[in-house]
Amino acid sequence: MNDQNIKKSIKEIVLDKIKKGEVKMRPKAHFVLKTILALSGAIILALFVLYLISFIAFALRAGGMGSLPGFGSRGLSSLLVSIPWLLILIAALLIVALEILVRRFAFSYRRPILYSVLTIIFLVFMGSFIINKTYLHPSLFQRAQEGRLPVAGEFYRDFGMPKSRDMHRGIVSGITDDGFYLKTPEGETLTVVIASETRFPMGVGIKEGDAVMVLGGRDNNTIQAFGISKINDEFNFFRQGRPTTTDPRQMLMPYRMPVPPNR
Amino acid sequence: MSILTSKNDEDIAKSVQSGQVDLFGILVDRYEEKMKRYARKFLYDTEDAQDVIQEIFLKTYENINSFDTKRKFSTWLYRIAHNELINALKKKKTLPLFDLDKFFPHHYHDNGLSQQIDRQDTRQIINQHLGKLEPKYREPIILYYLEGLSYKEIADVLHIPVSTVGIRIKRAKEAMKTTLKKIGYNL
Repeated sequence: MNDQNIKKSIKEIVLDKIKKGEVKMRPKAHFVLKTILALSGAIILALFVLYLISFIAFALRAGGMGSLPGFGSRGLSSLLVSIPWLLILIAALLIVALEILVRRFAFSYRRPILYSVLTIIFLVFMGSFIINKTYLHPSLFQRAQEGRLPVAGEFYRDFGMPKSRDMHRGIVSGITDDGFYLKTPEGETLTVVIASETRFPMGVGIKEGDAVMVLGGRDNNTIQAFGISKINDEFNFFRQGRPTTTDPRQMLMPYRMPVPPNR
Repeated sequence: MSILTSKNDEDIAKSVQSGQVDLFGILVDRYEEKMKRYARKFLYDTEDAQDVIQEIFLKTYENINSFDTKRKFSTWLYRIAHNELINALKKKKTLPLFDLDKFFPHHYHDNGLSQQIDRQDTRQIINQHLGKLEPKYREPIILYYLEGLSYKEIADVLHIPVSTVGIRIKRAKEAMKTTLKKIGYNL
């Protein structure tokens, strides 16, 4: 077959198939819908990643895990156990999926993947930072604790709690000669024994009503404290007067520290 | 017909979109040779190339409503051709899923005039030694030196950063230089 014949046959074959209706032009609506679906998918995925990363940050801070490195190697090993690795892995995979989804758009593929991924990570972390300044997670967490969060309740209860057996969280319900009583969110009252080696990376001065995280081995209802750290008042879920809103608009209001009553 | 043939690609594509299906033949006429050259140089298989070219034009017709007539038709068509050629190549060999060239930023200088002189001098030699290059280096070389696309257009066809186009062309030329040196030719 010479070149002239090949040329003829390609054009003819193509036009013939078009005329016979073997190949049909897709309507414009098909492509509009496809673009809308891709964009909505990217937005939904981005919002989900945003929610997940803000939740991870919330779970880490609410669990008092920020103070764990101050307890030395024992604190660090407890931190490694407590970090929600599965959620971090899921968030990382979702960021990869988001990158793949936005890669079809010129603003993304015209730049190196590294820049595009770093931009996504930056935006997601900024968004998470803003979400963590709102009532969203504290309100949902409290509703989960009270059994008023049907779908995500277990998720909040599970990830909101420390994973290490050495970590105990609660409020100081009474002071003893050598320590204090700790009331846990599960309703238990544990006796915490403070020794001369007990570490206080966030400072001493524990008083009744404080929310604390105690690191130490538990024997029945007694904990030999290896280290004690106060939990930021922002995450004291056991005291009264915490935000209990069910209104999503109020959940997204910026969080302000409660003003202590005048004594 | 002469008035129609003087129309640019984008206007003809617009007419096809609005239902003048027969005008699609003009676009096939205009790009058939280019697509043949691109497919043959990239696939190195005339039999496969023949089928792929048909498929390229059928896909073009099928998806013509997704073409934005404010943009360049040729770049859009080359994008379809690239996808079809990659699919054809995948049937024969496994292509790497991830490419570090696309991941990191690269520096390149877009010095238009020297590129133009370089393009004319190098075209002939490249034509003879393309087959020794990996597909990821072969394709930008074909599009730049043989099809005359700009770096930005190649970036839009391959969906890669412009700097990556520059680095791939540079590496491809270096690889060809090494090959040519072995046979006693200096590029």
